[in-house]
Amino acid sequence: MRFNVIPIETDVLIIGGGLGGCIAAIKASEHGLNVTIAEKANTTHSGSAGNGIDHIWAYCPSVHGKMGWTINDMFEDHKQAYDLVDKDLFYLVASTMYDRILDLEKFGINFRYEDSKIPGKFRIVPQFHSVPTSFNFDGRDIKKKLTEQAIRRRVNIINRVMITDLISTDGQISGALGLSTRAMDIYFFKAKAIVLSTGRSNRLGRHDSGIDFEWRAPGSLSGDGKSMALKAGLELINMEFLTPSTIRVRNYHQTGGPSGGVATWYPASDVIDSSGKIVFFRDYFYDWKKYFKEKMDATESRTRWLKAIPLHRPGLTKDEYMKVGPLYGGCSKDATDYEIDYIRWSNSNEGKCYRFATYHLDQEMNFNWAKDRIELGPTLRELSSASANGVVVDKNLETKLKGLFAIGDEVGGLPWSAAPGAVAMGWHAGEMAAKHAEKENSFLPVSKGKLESLEELCSNMLSSKEGFYWKEVELTVQNILDLNCSDLRTEAMLRRGIDLIREIKNAPIRAENPHELMRSLEVKSVIDNCELIVRASLERRESRKRPVRFQRVDFPEQDDKNYFAFLALRLEDGEFKFSKIPIKH
Amino acid sequence: MFRPIIISDDICKGCNKCVDICPMDVFVPNPEKGKPPIVMYPEECWYDGVCVYECPLKEQGAIKIITPLPMRVFLLKGKDSA
Repeated sequence: MRFNVIPIETDVLIIGGGLGGCIAAIKASEHGLNVTIAEKANTTHSGSAGNGIDHIWAYCPSVHGKMGWTINDMFEDHKQAYDLVDKDLFYLVASTMYDRILDLEKFGINFRYEDSKIPGKFRIVPQFHSVPTSFNFDGRDIKKKLTEQAIRRRVNIINRVMITDLISTDGQISGALGLSTRAMDIYFFKAKAIVLSTGRSNRLGRHDSGIDFEWRAPGSLSGDGKSMALKAGLELINMEFLTPSTIRVRNYHQTGGPSGGVATWYPASDVIDSSGKIVFFRDYFYDWKKYFKEKMDATESRTRWLKAIPLHRPGLTKDEYMKVGPLYGGCSKDATDYEIDYIRWSNSNEGKCYRFATYHLDQEMNFNWAKDRIELGPTLRELSSASANGVVVDKNLETKLKGLFAIGDEVGGLPWSAAPGAVAMGWHAGEMAAKHAEKENSFLPVSKGKLESLEELCSNMLSSKEGFYWKEVELTVQNILDLNCSDLRTEAMLRRGIDLIREIKNAPIRAENPHELMRSLEVKSVIDNCELIVRASLERRESRKRPVRFQRVDFPEQDDKNYFAFLALRLEDGEFKFSKIPIKH
Repeated sequence: MFRPIIISDDICKGCNKCVDICPMDVFVPNPEKGKPPIVMYPEECWYDGVCVYECPLKEQGAIKIITPLPMRVFLLKGKDSA
């Protein structure tokens, strides 16, 4: 079968039109360059923010400064709570995110509320740090608004294309290849600079509910960027941190859930056991008046916060849950109407919580927010923002391939970078990519080798009679990860896992149309991500406590002397090479 | 097995907005213009609800997502103890 090759020349190519990708495109377009977004789905609703977000953390000088809390205090919180943190990435995000909030406002996204008692009339809640830093906002339509802004700035958006390969020439990025997900087209890009932003790696396992694709994060996120980066010889870190499952809403997976007044059910939810006893406590709206009056003690605040986290968050494993369950989350008995309305508002802006709260709970289940409780249960192991895994970048977000930048969940080293990581890094990388592109007078020559390989691979899949359906291969590799690289890991099981994954890599796959070709290529990304996870796990010969909860049965103790570092893997001539990147604080 | 997305033949006008925006690419347009799109890959639905959210005829019930049974929450109704 023949593919129609569509050659495109663009100054800046953004791979992935999620939150970060759209922001990068908007910023890059300010330079008057030709900017293209290549997006696998549709930028109006793609990526982890595709369904909306309700919170984004930032250091706000006019609020936090007034409290006497510095950005260094925030870094200290982040370090102590989240273990391995890249200082440069943290400061980039923390010091610029408030300015990005002001930019988001210019794009028509509301952050101000008449009933707020905080300077600027923001709604800022505690979530990731010892003092409130998460700005709650009306983020339901954020992707639609950013798409609108990109179009207004003449960014060329190509939806329904899956980018499969990066192309470089003499150590510099020069182009990329992509497959249409709906037509027999291959896009052959030449670009002077590229921003890689395909988001977190999902599709690594299956939920207990038995329903496929009902992960918290979108099912389209197959770690394509990490796979491309690996094939391009780049380093990836923290891939071993496939964090164990935690306890949230049983069966229905979304990013919120009533568990001790945190996140989307802040401030007034708690968790009770079957006798009605509160086992994880509610929080309260922050007493801003108190903190504006007295100069705060950041150390005291941090100590108190770290101690209190286990009181609010049920960070239980499945086994632990089986001993103490069933547990039920919901609005606290003493929650006020205002607090309940606030919770429903947060939910209506945050991703799948929107459908969960306004349709499933309200309509399908006739949920009474004041009186009813939701049973909790285990989520799935995942490479979430908490794991901070991904591509190694310098402080300007550039990889070792000149002109290739990476942002957001694509990047390794900043736990809980999440939305601020996407927005703040997206902005900065957009600027850097544009500046790089401006310096290039012409496009570098691009070899056709990878194009020919992709055509051959896809043609073989389309004409295969006895190949496996993509889903069979994905199930198999998920099963391997589930046992060989699970909550408890050993050298023997990990080594066996690598051998099994290598065998699966060669499994022939059949596809009948571009959609199935996309899924088949996604499985290849999933396999690459799984192999990285297992190999990286082998290299970390220690265990680490919360939040990463990495457990090597054969190395049960934490060993900061040797392993307080980012463990990096890359491919060189087809062989995996390992190195340790020490963390400098 | 799964039929999470139900499109009403009487109400849907085949504008294909859902086809354009679905993050999981589960729909294909109906070969007949003006007819409802086909849910080609229902087992790949992510239950995000974007198709319903953006449907211009959603108030009239053109498209609906039924949450599969294993995904539905288990509720403790109106009590503080089991």
